[in-house]
Amino acid sequence: MGTQTERTYDAVVIGAGNGGLAAAIRILQGGFSCLLLEKHNLPGGFATSFKRGRFEFEASLHELNDFGSPDAPGDIRTLFRDLGVEEKIDWIRIPEAYHLITTDKQYDCEMPFGVDAFIDKMEQYVPGSRKSMTEFFELCNEVRDAQTYSNSVNGNTDSDYMKSHFPNFIKAGSYSVNEVLDALKMPKRAQDILNAYWCYLGVDCDRMSFLHYGSMVIRYITRDAWMPKMRSHEISLAFDARIRELGGDIWYNSEAAKILTDKDGHITGVELADGTTVRTHHVVANCSPHLVFGKMLDRSAVTEKMVRATNARTFSGRGFTLFLGLNKSAEELGIKSHNYFIYDTADSVKQYDLMRKVETNHVQATVCLNNAFPECSPKGTCIMYFTTMFMSDDWGNVTETDYFKAKDRMAEDMIRVFERETGCKIRDAIEEICVASPTTYARYCGHPQGVIYGYETADWDSLMPRMMMMKEDAQLFPGLRFAGGYAMRSSGYSSSYVSGDLSGRQTVGDLKREVR
Amino acid sequence: MKFKKQIFGFMDMLRFKKLVPNRREALANGPADPLPTEYRTNVLAHRLHPGRMEVELVDAVMVTPTIRKLTFRRTDADAFPFFRAGQYVSLQSPVGDSLVSRPYSIASSPREALENKLVLGVEDAGFFSGYLCRDAKPGDRFVMSEPSGEFHYETLRDKKHIVCIAGGSGITPFVSMAKSMAEGDEPYEMTLFYGARTAQQLAFRDELDALSAKGLKVVYVLSDETCDGCEHGFVSAALMEKYVDIRESSFFLCGPQAMYDFVLKELAPYDLPRKAVRKDAGSCGNREVSDPRTFRLTVHVRDKVCEISAQENETLLTAMERAGIDAPNKCRAGGCGYCHSKWVRGEYVVADGRDGRREADRKFGFIHPCVTYPASDIELIVPVGE
Repeated sequence: MGTQTERTYDAVVIGAGNGGLAAAIRILQGGFSCLLLEKHNLPGGFATSFKRGRFEFEASLHELNDFGSPDAPGDIRTLFRDLGVEEKIDWIRIPEAYHLITTDKQYDCEMPFGVDAFIDKMEQYVPGSRKSMTEFFELCNEVRDAQTYSNSVNGNTDSDYMKSHFPNFIKAGSYSVNEVLDALKMPKRAQDILNAYWCYLGVDCDRMSFLHYGSMVIRYITRDAWMPKMRSHEISLAFDARIRELGGDIWYNSEAAKILTDKDGHITGVELADGTTVRTHHVVANCSPHLVFGKMLDRSAVTEKMVRATNARTFSGRGFTLFLGLNKSAEELGIKSHNYFIYDTADSVKQYDLMRKVETNHVQATVCLNNAFPECSPKGTCIMYFTTMFMSDDWGNVTETDYFKAKDRMAEDMIRVFERETGCKIRDAIEEICVASPTTYARYCGHPQGVIYGYETADWDSLMPRMMMMKEDAQLFPGLRFAGGYAMRSSGYSSSYVSGDLSGRQTVGDLKREVR
Repeated sequence: MKFKKQIFGFMDMLRFKKLVPNRREALANGPADPLPTEYRTNVLAHRLHPGRMEVELVDAVMVTPTIRKLTFRRTDADAFPFFRAGQYVSLQSPVGDSLVSRPYSIASSPREALENKLVLGVEDAGFFSGYLCRDAKPGDRFVMSEPSGEFHYETLRDKKHIVCIAGGSGITPFVSMAKSMAEGDEPYEMTLFYGARTAQQLAFRDELDALSAKGLKVVYVLSDETCDGCEHGFVSAALMEKYVDIRESSFFLCGPQAMYDFVLKELAPYDLPRKAVRKDAGSCGNREVSDPRTFRLTVHVRDKVCEISAQENETLLTAMERAGIDAPNKCRAGGCGYCHSKWVRGEYVVADGRDGRREADRKFGFIHPCVTYPASDIELIVPVGE
């Protein structure tokens, strides 16, 4: 039952991940027609859930940052409000920031939300840290204000205004996290504890831009983190419903194989894997430039400049997650926190290096969902998920016949480390188990090597120059914009929604100019 | 506060100014080598999960009066994917005007899959299985789903020793599991209780006997006759106690509902944790309705619309298959979510105990047509068959 008639849309969005979903709504809100194509039979990409026995597992979301309460909304809640999806979703507030454990220095620190509470708690763990922590948050506030200004002018910032209003932002702007914290004379132990979130951005603190980290930390600590009750699948279906309300079309099980161009390299349409074609001049790709320029576009349409710009970039972490449905409650098992970061070492540079190899990677960001939302599983049970990343293509060495065993080895190591570091014995309580490896992420979302974090925001490719070059980067291929983890805002839920918002609105701008 | 990294603040400012030129230069100086078109992890993902496969029936032989052993090879690749013993495939073919699919457990081993061989054991018990048992012949082509399902051993969850209990054609996943153990791909020790009415109805017996020399412990249990080397009666707890330590085992059950009811009742006094017993889910059949009505079913697939009829006692999936619509489906038991479709309007009923939807699916009006019956005229948006 293929499609015989060729349909025409003002824009086609490839991929119904977080970025693609937001972009599609923006295009429709702009008054243009839009088709959203998705290769899987569900929306959301990583933002989904799945069932095993009596458990419904969250596939990827730990918490949505910068969300805030209904009365004091953060940027993401505001975005959801503008998109018309906020009220379609039942939200719950995440109780605490994080619980950091490191094997080498034996940190065991539980950090709260709220700047004052965070600074007080840090002072308890590291006496004498108050001054530098206070300055850190002051600096972060300026970072956030500067970014808000930058967004309000779509990246076209006035440099005199920046210099007069955000001098510290500019002065700190070219430095790494560690360089700035050293300049603030923050005690080393406080730096270690503060840097716990680094794995959420996937770059060690010697190479991660302070602006990037600071803007994330301030958004977590001052604006709370939230998540939907029915897992991230609830968000994805809310977006699906909103797109349909606005008259958009969504085709599932419909993989976009090619972006079609004319002899001048202008986009003319999209061809699906089954040969169906759809006409359009505007594409928002919620997938990697590596796929778009390497496979989807005809070679003749891909210039050397595009190839060089794509090859220059570095893939970020490849994902690995263990999901457990346990037949005892979190309380019975002694699991007290919602969100654990467990590292071999508090030194992010050393840790990043250990994460290159499957064998030496013992990092885990672990969630016990019931400690945020007790009713997420039946009484007397709980849900846990353990996530790590590989900082090289080492997983690519796994062979077909060793695949299931390789997943088990990694999963067993995660359980071993969690039990050793927390003292909570979970192994005998495993009722359901599921493992997602880089192969799984490659399967469902098509990302090269099973990468879940897009391109590394390290060194020259950090967040700030990406934002400042947003316009310039989009000129690489007019008519084509990117959304999601590989786009200008880099990876993570909030960032992906924002990049979809940006690329969707910019596509509306392109379309309006065209009409004129 | 006044942030300063270098002695003079303007030097910090200068560095900031260079962020854009530095990035511009790095992008311009990336290697000019062609971008990769393949990545190892993605190649493996595609080998393990090819989606739909094209297959040819190469051999078909009756192994009991009602069970036919069907051997397939892939025609679109030179090997089947390596899988977890215990999994199933869904086989699809046009039959008359219908386009029919059914799930069947794989009886061959994951290693045999790599030699482009996949075996199913099909019992002549329904519309499609009747066709497979009587009409299908070597050389016939089919579409087959990739191996799927969670009915398999899990090292970190299950006990070292597993007890498998089979009835009828429910033996097939256990033949695969026993072979996979013998081939060194699974770490468990396995005791198999295989129940049938008579010895003649035991399928795959030669293979099972051969496997018992390689570590499989197999106990044949006949209800309607006695014979040497077989137990007489049913797979009761007392019988199992003779061979295994019930409390130190994980149970896998595959067979008819009556067998599940019996075995679960036998195991009830042991008060085993829920995780200790797993059942393979059978396909969802018709529902009992006296004098079933016929409704109009409107189906949107991409930009096409079909109007077909749907019987009150048949699933929405069956109605679509009857009309020749290639609607996605795999497990036909409500669990895999592969038929996930958007409900637009109309009344429906979900089969008892089969609602495998996610919570948000219910909230936003998504259904699994494989376990959902119409209760009025009804309209759906269905994804295209892969």
